[in-house]
Amino acid sequence: MGRWDGRSGQDVLRRVGEASVLILISLADGPKHGYALIQDIKELSDVQLGPGTLYGALDRLERLGLIESLPADDRRHPYRITAPGAAALRAHLDSLERVSAAGRLRLQLGGI
Amino acid sequence: MDDSRTARLVETVLRCYPARWRRRHGDEAAELAALLIRDGTPAGSIAWSYLAGAAREWLTPRLGRRLSTMTCALLVAAGSLGASAGLLASAAPARAASTSQVRTSTSPVRASTSQASARAHCPPSASEPNADVLPAMGHPRVIIGEAGHGRSC
Repeated sequence: MGRWDGRSGQDVLRRVGEASVLILISLADGPKHGYALIQDIKELSDVQLGPGTLYGALDRLERLGLIESLPADDRRHPYRITAPGAAALRAHLDSLERVSAAGRLRLQLGGI
Repeated sequence: MDDSRTARLVETVLRCYPARWRRRHGDEAAELAALLIRDGTPAGSIAWSYLAGAAREWLTPRLGRRLSTMTCALLVAAGSLGASAGLLASAAPARAASTSQVRTSTSPVRASTSQASARAHCPPSASEPNADVLPAMGHPRVIIGEAGHGRSC
């Protein structure tokens, strides 16, 4: 999978997994390093990311060009969301909203 | 689990990652593990997470790794082909040599007699192995041993 430029409008995050989406959401309000990401994600979604999962997702997102590593602060590497990363997150959240709305509507129609 | 044992466990698991990954994340990963353990996360679950991450890291296909895997596969294939060819080449003269030895040590009459007597108490079989033929190579029939018929009754 190559770098994503964010121009195609497709939902590139559909296949990267929940951890990657949560990381992008966490980085949306500013750069964070690994420990801060784990803490923030636990707070916002009640999901405790394992450190192995975290680094795998960070590497994948960086390869896709959706996040970038900033110069190391001591031993910690902060990460920042890129413009294509923000566009991808927006597209993914829009897609989730559409699916969510459709799901709610069908539940109403079904009377469940 | 005490601190030193926990640190050793995490260090050991981090060594399972490829060197490239360790250069980039190794120090930070060890520090992150220490912070999570301090917060009450069980060391075993951190080690397990890193172990699963290391397995994923090795199994995830990358262009460079794919090329090196292909190179290895080609080298192994070439090596096994070379070894097979070498074995075939060395096996043919050896068989020929053993045939000529038997023939020189046994007179034709005695050879045919012993062969006949060997066959006399042993009924012929349609599935008698023809081990002395190399059908795949289309080689002529090479007789390995004339003193016996090469099969137990």
